[in-house]
Amino acid sequence: MSIKNTYIPYKMRIANIVEEAPQVRTYRLEFVNPDEAKQFSFKAGQFAEYGILGEGESTFCIASSPTREGYIECTFRASGRVTKALASCEQNDIITLRGPYGNTFPIEEWYGKNIVFITGGIGLPPLRCVIWNLLDHRDKFGEISIYYGARTTKDLVYKHELEEWQNRGDINLFVTVDPGGEIPEWKGHVGFVPTIVEQNAPKSENAIAIVAGPPILIKMSMPILAKNGFENKNIFTTLENRMKCGVGKCGHCTVGKTYVCKDGPVFTYEEVLTMPAEY
Amino acid sequence: METKLLQSSDIPKLFDNLIKSGKVIIAPITKKSGKVFFERISSYDQVEKDYIQTQFSAKSVVFPKVEELFTYKKTDTGIEITDTLSQIPEVVVWGLRPCDSSAFDYISEFFLKENPDAYFARRKELLTLITISCPKADDACFCTSVELNPGSTAGSDILLTQMGNEYYAEIITEKGKAVVESSSDLFTATEPKTKDEFLAKITYQFSLEEIKERIKTAYDNAQWKHESMGCYGCGACAFACPTCTCFDIQDESDGDEGSRKRCWDACGLSLFTKHNSGHNPRKNQTERRRQRLMHKFKYSVENLGIVSCVGCGRCIRVCPAHLNIFENILNVTKE
Repeated sequence: MSIKNTYIPYKMRIANIVEEAPQVRTYRLEFVNPDEAKQFSFKAGQFAEYGILGEGESTFCIASSPTREGYIECTFRASGRVTKALASCEQNDIITLRGPYGNTFPIEEWYGKNIVFITGGIGLPPLRCVIWNLLDHRDKFGEISIYYGARTTKDLVYKHELEEWQNRGDINLFVTVDPGGEIPEWKGHVGFVPTIVEQNAPKSENAIAIVAGPPILIKMSMPILAKNGFENKNIFTTLENRMKCGVGKCGHCTVGKTYVCKDGPVFTYEEVLTMPAEY
Repeated sequence: METKLLQSSDIPKLFDNLIKSGKVIIAPITKKSGKVFFERISSYDQVEKDYIQTQFSAKSVVFPKVEELFTYKKTDTGIEITDTLSQIPEVVVWGLRPCDSSAFDYISEFFLKENPDAYFARRKELLTLITISCPKADDACFCTSVELNPGSTAGSDILLTQMGNEYYAEIITEKGKAVVESSSDLFTATEPKTKDEFLAKITYQFSLEEIKERIKTAYDNAQWKHESMGCYGCGACAFACPTCTCFDIQDESDGDEGSRKRCWDACGLSLFTKHNSGHNPRKNQTERRRQRLMHKFKYSVENLGIVSCVGCGRCIRVCPAHLNIFENILNVTKE
């Protein structure tokens, strides 16, 4: 019997570290074994189990785009046992990786459409994967709008990329910080993300909205999207329930009959509304 | 299906042959506490013969309480990771009840149908189940309500039913045949027999068809709060349950070496779904109790077409708050 043993992880070398925000880091990871690198492939929206041997594993999305080959990136906040151990790693340290797991954003179905991203805090990493995926095939999509906010200017992640996106000229970028989170030289918006979305009223015609972030951001954004005419089937989100195995066995991520890890993490808002509110 | 007879006085010989085969033999034994557990045994003298049900189910032979997934060792040249699949032994379980063996059908479907689990698959491949029908039952037993009975053959390789001084053997699978062949002098051929008069009488608690239909709309039933009142969230029901499959994954280290393990977990425990941010999708015990029961009677039916409760009654016997699953299910599915 030859069943793939999903629990044996890949060994990954930390090739680069970016300090994004207080307690938030981005790691670029490269496969220690080049053969594994060749076999590995993923699509936007998928996640992985990142581990430190002796400490355990933690679940987060793959934050780099599948169009950028040879490495993957992850962005995480140091908050628990495993993420704190991960955060204490240095360049060239070896960590473990299992995955990719979960379903994907149906990017091919969005060709020709306008895309609206709405996200806050470290909800941007799972969408960054999608954003770069779209930008690397820019001509296939209509207008791209990104609404992104954080509590303070310090808490914004991917600061260099936000600047790059701002300067491209082919993205409507709205970066905001919560009232009181700005500094004197801040030139972006001030206000909660849903408020900025409401003020700018993204058009729903031929458009897809992708919402990720803290539950409150999702909750407050949905009525605004509805008011602007977005149908629930055209709104996508990625759920972040607690996970351990990643393959629909350990039971931690279940919402009703749904396993977020294997049936998701990407769901339309239409699908989310059919589930018990256990997410 | 082949049927045979085996003299009660020959059971020790059958046992000796099983032990001599070198396989690990798991059977019920009575501990100093007076409670009966499945444990590895080395002679038939240790085996408990007079019991209604073991404290825990036999599922640990395919889904151990704690299972090492791999070991690792950090060396100067890198990290060595070694999986533990090759260490899995051949196992025979003796004396489990038909409810427990039928539970193997469900957990096999769960672990093997989608994203098959390598450890479970290997353990199941090397496992033989010799089940003994129930000659008696208690008030917690309700297998007949979930469409099983004290003489069900589901999941077993051999089912033995005591009939006076002899055992009637139903040989269900190739693995069962192999056991009989290795002790062929002990078995004599017989026509199929009716077992009913030798089986325990089980009180019928509910109609499964009705429950399956009614639970579809039971999520918002106001009775959940009352029915979960008293639940400590201790998880004992899940640990005793033959069909609960939830687990956690944890590392254990000792300097530069250690292992990654999975261990039983339970949806009734408050930390089971809790995010590191403090957000908890199932924030109170009512929601957690509902999850457990809805999974048994609704979600596993939707996902695999199987009710994942076999009516063994362990959760009722073990619950410190005296919660009773069939009473709970009946009350949350009333009009």
